[in-house]
Formats: sequence, structure tokens, C-alpha cells
Amino acid sequence: MKSVRHLIGRSPTWLLIGVAVFIGVLATLPVPQAAEDPARRVPQETFAIVDVTAFDGEAFREGWDVWVEDGRIRHAGQRLDLPEDLPRLDGRGHTLIPGLIDGHVHSFLSTLRDALRFGVTTVLDQSTDPAFAAAHRAARVEVARGTEADLFSAGMAATAPEGHGTQYGIPVETLTGPDEATAWVRARQDEGSDWIKIIYEDGSAFDMEIPSLDGETVAAVIAAAHAEGLAAVVHVSTLETALQATAFGADGLVHVWHDEVVSAEDARRFAEAGIFVVPTLSVMVSAEDTAVAELLRETDEAMLSAIQRQTLAGRFPGGLAEGGNVAMENVRRLRAAGVRLVAGTDSSNPGTGAGISMHGELRLLARAGMGSAEALAAATSVAADAFGVAERGRIAEGYLADLVLVRGDLEEDVSRSHDIVAIWKDGYLVERVVGSAGGEPQAETAPAPAETLVAGFEDGFEASFGAWDVTTDQMTGGSSSVNVGVRDGALVVTGEIAPGLAFPWAGVIWMPGAQPMQPVDFSGREVIRFRTRGDGRQYAVMLISSAQPAGPPPTVTFIAPEEWTQLEIQLEDFPTATPEIIAGLAFVAQGPVGAYAFEVDEVEVR
Amino acid sequence: MTPGRRFRIYLLEARFQVLEVLREPMFAIPTLTFPLILYLFFGVIMGTRGVSLAVPTYVLATYGVFGVLGPALFGFGAGLANERDTGVLLLKQTTPMPAGAYLFAKVMAALIFGAIVVAALFLTAAHAAGVALYRWQWFALAGVLLAGVIPFCALGLAIGAWAGGRSAVAVVNLVFLPMAMLAGLWLPIYMFPDVMQDIALALPAYHHAQLALKVIAMDAGQSVPMHLAVLVAETLVFLGLAALGFRRADGFLMRRSR
Repeated sequence: MKSVRHLIGRSPTWLLIGVAVFIGVLATLPVPQAAEDPARRVPQETFAIVDVTAFDGEAFREGWDVWVEDGRIRHAGQRLDLPEDLPRLDGRGHTLIPGLIDGHVHSFLSTLRDALRFGVTTVLDQSTDPAFAAAHRAARVEVARGTEADLFSAGMAATAPEGHGTQYGIPVETLTGPDEATAWVRARQDEGSDWIKIIYEDGSAFDMEIPSLDGETVAAVIAAAHAEGLAAVVHVSTLETALQATAFGADGLVHVWHDEVVSAEDARRFAEAGIFVVPTLSVMVSAEDTAVAELLRETDEAMLSAIQRQTLAGRFPGGLAEGGNVAMENVRRLRAAGVRLVAGTDSSNPGTGAGISMHGELRLLARAGMGSAEALAAATSVAADAFGVAERGRIAEGYLADLVLVRGDLEEDVSRSHDIVAIWKDGYLVERVVGSAGGEPQAETAPAPAETLVAGFEDGFEASFGAWDVTTDQMTGGSSSVNVGVRDGALVVTGEIAPGLAFPWAGVIWMPGAQPMQPVDFSGREVIRFRTRGDGRQYAVMLISSAQPAGPPPTVTFIAPEEWTQLEIQLEDFPTATPEIIAGLAFVAQGPVGAYAFEVDEVEVR
Repeated sequence: MTPGRRFRIYLLEARFQVLEVLREPMFAIPTLTFPLILYLFFGVIMGTRGVSLAVPTYVLATYGVFGVLGPALFGFGAGLANERDTGVLLLKQTTPMPAGAYLFAKVMAALIFGAIVVAALFLTAAHAAGVALYRWQWFALAGVLLAGVIPFCALGLAIGAWAGGRSAVAVVNLVFLPMAMLAGLWLPIYMFPDVMQDIALALPAYHHAQLALKVIAMDAGQSVPMHLAVLVAETLVFLGLAALGFRRADGFLMRRSR
């Protein structure tokens, strides 16, 4: 009996070990690369992110559902009553935040694309070429797929002849006295400036002498701006000019000063005046600083555009060794006094990069004592309110669906903000590659043309966009054949499926891109519609996507009947996560072995 | 008998069954290596000539079915008939062991051998052919393959109940090899003439293979409930046939244990 029990005692152990080994083997088998990227599987346009920790602009909310419809947030809250068929993304383990708003940017070239790629969906520009601002203002009112952050801009800044802001090669209309203020402000208003930016900088904090507007003129421009209904913000770098600008009635200061540490009493004066401050610690604290250096180490270099790399590598001559500490201390004290603080980077000045530096700024604000919610608010709702930018900076009903999904718990650690799972701009998923967003030539996913008709075959084997070609299993070692011809305005495909392969095919393929197999984004299209007839056998439409697992392409079969028939295949019926990304669409015969003949006409993707 | 003791008898019998099969290399080696050799040849050597991984992926599912089919059919069909002929079954019948323990042990042995074959095939496919599936697909494919042990054990039981010990191996082979062939386990079904494709519809291995191929989206596009319904119906038919066979023979497995 003893020995029997001994034997029995061992068998469950061996069984359990066996089961564990089996599961272990299964768990370590290779998976397709693309499948591991959750962003590939996030839904677009009308969808819900469910059971996510959401930062709504003010506080973190556990277990929220956020329902996005037509580019806006339709509902956000706990356990929403969502429609059954609404595509949803499980947000568990992630944090959803409003698209970031950078409160101090100078934009040019790829700035807006670079910003968006790092989750900055709105840029508050503190002076740029008015022509650049004018060219990009239109896009911000469109709720549409875009590759750029929305731009709000002061346009041209007010400064003295030869003063700060005139050194960038962009023509600047300067001021010499208070009597020019009203005309100057009206000119900015005509150009479309969203607010007025004034430079009050004599270089003293940098041991330089720079011509500057005098206090009287600064006060006059602020008053003129207010008279025209525009806000006025002031560039300062000393405590003294900061106090003066505040006394003149400025709405905001777009830098914190670094010449001396503010007293508690003065800090209270800023708070009482209700002025907001955009500290721009990113340019105050040098790029060698650990926060920024760490961020760069944790960032995939392939995500950086050429301009981002260039500006991040730059250094201010001389730098701000001690000034950085003073600036940091000032932020601490202003915060303690209750002054409104807006996150801003002053990119793309030397040592910063558009978009990416916003994540560095969040780290620096956290270091200055801000909690995660406070730092994120400074980068979203507080920034939106300070500059009067509507519909942005919050996750709330009616707000634009500018959203960033970040891996992990952001409340616990705001320095995770750069670990982005997905970005939506106006409800559209942003493709986070330099190729499409950074303007550098690469095999990128191209947007689909507006037309839906792929081919009517009226003029031969031609597509109205992209190109047709033949495809057979000869590329995988098979010997099936295909012949194509156009007869009576329809494509005639005949051939033979040869034995010898497990997965034989032969037929035609349409590649929508300008280059062969270039992926094209057909988001918003739902159906592949085509007319067909044939020998009654089963055929297949194979969808070749940019991101498909190893193995055969996702396939939907159809029968080609004797009489002409119009067929529709729903894109979502293809067993793939990204049916809207199409690099090729093949109409093929597969098994059984033997001759086949079918015709195709009026192919549409609609 | 206490439930605890009964459970021990089940496990003990299962352990002995596995040991018995392992000690029969004439059985163990072919059932373990045959699917693997076929996969190496058709899946890895022939299948990876092209750029696509379609072939090694497809045949992974079908040779997986082939791999679980063998142990189930042979263990039940040939094993049972043999044990009856040699009197081992009669000996077991004289012990207080419940008939259920005997069946359980045979199913467990088939499952364990099936799992070894599946694991070996998966590792070969992944590392020799470069097949990559989503994590859920690996698990689902393994699950579907192993669940197929049930109908095949039922079929084996029916054969074992009717065939004599000498003829059982021949009968099992007569069922095993043609079914594997006709169900499209070696070569895809659509490469056969229509008549043979119609025959396939009657075979449990065909429906099991289609379910396995469904996991990797390479099936013929028929409905899952249809495949399941056929498999369940055929399993019941096999069990009924087995019951008739045993009633005719000696009543073992029909006797209620006390």
C-alpha cells in the first residue's frame, strides 16, 4: 500500500510539470512583430477607449470610458452605456490624457508634424513668420485627418529695432515708441495674430546689451492689445521687468526669470495680479541636465526628424549654468504662491526639440514640485484657459478628440508621458513615423485619393490610381498560371491552378500606392465592391496590408457565378487588425487544382 | 470506495498506461516521429522554398491533427483489442478498478502523447520554418488540436471493440492512413478531385482539421457549428458502436462498478 501511494503521489506532480512545460513552450513561441504593437490595433474615428485611467484636464479618473465620435468626445465618464457595435480599445493599464498643449513654441518647417508625433496636439506659438502662421491657421478649425498639431500664434512679436527677435532672418516690424502701439497691434490683428507677444529684453540677465522697448512702449502695446480685444504676453528674463510687465497689466509672462530668486512677497504680487507664467524650464536648464538627457536616451532615435535632432544637439553659447537653478527655484516659489503656471518648452531653441521637449518640461515641472495631475494640467487645461484656446486641453463632452494614450500609470510617475501607445488628433489615429509625419522621404503609408473607383477596365488593364499586375504562387515555388485580358470593358482572368503547393493561387493584384506595395490608408472606406462572373468556382480576395502577421494574407472568398453579379466585401470582414491599410488587393483563384476563368469589373473601394 | 481512493486509481492506471506505451517503442517512436518527419519534409524543406510562410503555417495545423490522431487511434484501437486478446483486459476486469479508470487512462495517454507531438511540431515550425502566430493563435491551435483527441479516441474505442487483437492493427491502419490522406492532412483537400472532397466531408479528421485551420484563418470557410455538430454526432455514433461491440463480446466497460 505504501509503495502504491508513493507512486500515486508522484504522478500528479509529473503531470503538473508536464502541463507547465507544455504551456511554457506555447508561451515562448514566436509571434508576428506587428502584433505586439498595440497602436496597430487601436480603432479610429468612432470608437471608445474603455476602462482607462483618464486625466480629464484636472484630475485622474479611474475606470473611465471615453466615447469618440466624428472627431469629438461624445461622452466621457464611468461605465458609459456604449452601443454594442462601437469599436472599443481596452485601456486597462494605460493612462489617457488630453493632447498636450505646448505653451511656448516657435514654429517653422516640420515643427507641427514633429510636435504631433510626440503627443503635442496644439502648439501655442510665441512668434513666428506671420506667413507660416497664416498658412497653418486654417487647419485648426477642420476636424479632419491631419499630420500636424494645431497652431495658435502671436505671429510677429513686438520688439525694438535690432532688439531680441529680429535676429532670425524674418522681417520684423519694430516699434520705437508708445505712439506706434495701436497701429502696430491693429496690423497684427489684420495678419491674424491670436494674441500679442511683446519682447521686454535688454540682455542684462545674459550679460549682454540688447536694444529693448522701453517700459512705456511695453505698457502702450499691452493697452492697445486689450483695446482690440487681444491678450498680451511678455517675454522677460529679469524679476524687475517681470514685475513691471505685471504692473502694466500683461496677461502672461512667457518665461520665468533667472536673474534672481523671487521673494515670497513678490511672488504673492504675481498671484494677486492673476498673471500666468510659462516658465520654459526646457531652455533654462541645460540639455546636459539629467532629466532631458534621460528622456533622450529613452527615445527611439528613429522617431526624431532631422530638425529635431539638429535642434536638440544645439547649445546656447555660454549657457545658463546657475540661472537654471534660479529659474527652477522661482517656479517652486511661484507655485507655492499660487501663480498659474503653463507648460511650455520654447522649442525649437538650441537644446530643445519640438514635441519631445514637452515630455522633458513635464519632468522638470515635476522636479519643481508639481504632482502628476498639476504638471499635466499645466500642459493641457491650464494652458488652454490661459490662452483662450477653446475645445482643447480636457477630456470632456464636446471637446476635440485630441487624445494621447500612455503606457502605465501616469499618476504615479509623470515621467512616463513619452511612452506613448497611441495619439489621436481630431479622432484620427496619428501614425507615429517620421516618414509620414516628419516629411522625410521613406516608404510611408500614403493617404487614399478621394475617388472610389479603382478600375472600370474601359481602357485596358489600367487602374484609375495605383497599378494592376498579375500574381501567382510562382513566387513561393508553385507553378500556377494566369492570363489576363480586357474584353468588353471587363477584366478577364484565366489560368490554371497547379498541384504541388499547400496554398496555391493565381490571379491579379491591384496595388493602390504610387510605388509597388506601398501601403495606402483607406480609413473611412468600408467596402470593396466589384462585379464578377465566371465558372462558378470559389475565388478569393486577398488583402495585403502593411502590417500583417506571417502566413497567408487575410482572405475573403467569393463565388464567381455565371451571370454578372455585383459583390460587396466589408473591409472589416478581413481577418486582420488593419483592413483599412491596403498595399495590395488580389483577386485570385486558389484550390482546387485545375483550370479557372473569371471576370472582374467596376472595382471600387468605398 | 472513497472518492479520493477512486481518484488515485484513475491516476495510477493513467500512469501505468503511459508507461506501458512508452515501453512499447514500436508504438511510441512512430507516433511521435512520423508527424514530425512529414512536417520537416513538407513544411520545412519543401514549404520554405518560397518567400511566403503560408505552406509551413498551413501544414502545421494539418500535421498537428495527424499527430493527435495517431496516439488516439492506436492507443484505443490496437491497444484495447490487443489487451483483450492477451487476457490483460480480463485480468483488469477481475480487479476492483472501475471501468472508467481504464478509459480515462487511455484518453490521458492519448492526450499526453498528442501534447508531446504538438509541442514538437510547434517548436519545429517556429524555429526551423520561421512560423509566427499571434499568442492566442498558438494557444488556440494547441487547444483545438488536443480537443480532437476525444472523437478519435471514440473512433479507436469502436474499432477496438469490434476488431480482434491480430486484425486491430491492420484495421486501424486501414482507417488511419486513408483518413489522414482523404481529410487533407497531408495535402490540402482542394487539391483532390471533387469526389474525394465529398468523401472528406464525412471524416472526423476533416472537420477537426478545418477547425484547426480556422484558428490560423486558412480553412475552407465553412461554419464552426457545422464542424462541431459533425464531430459531436460522429463521436456519439462511435461510442454507440463501441457499446454494441462490448456488449457482444464480454460486457467489460459496460459493467457498473460498485
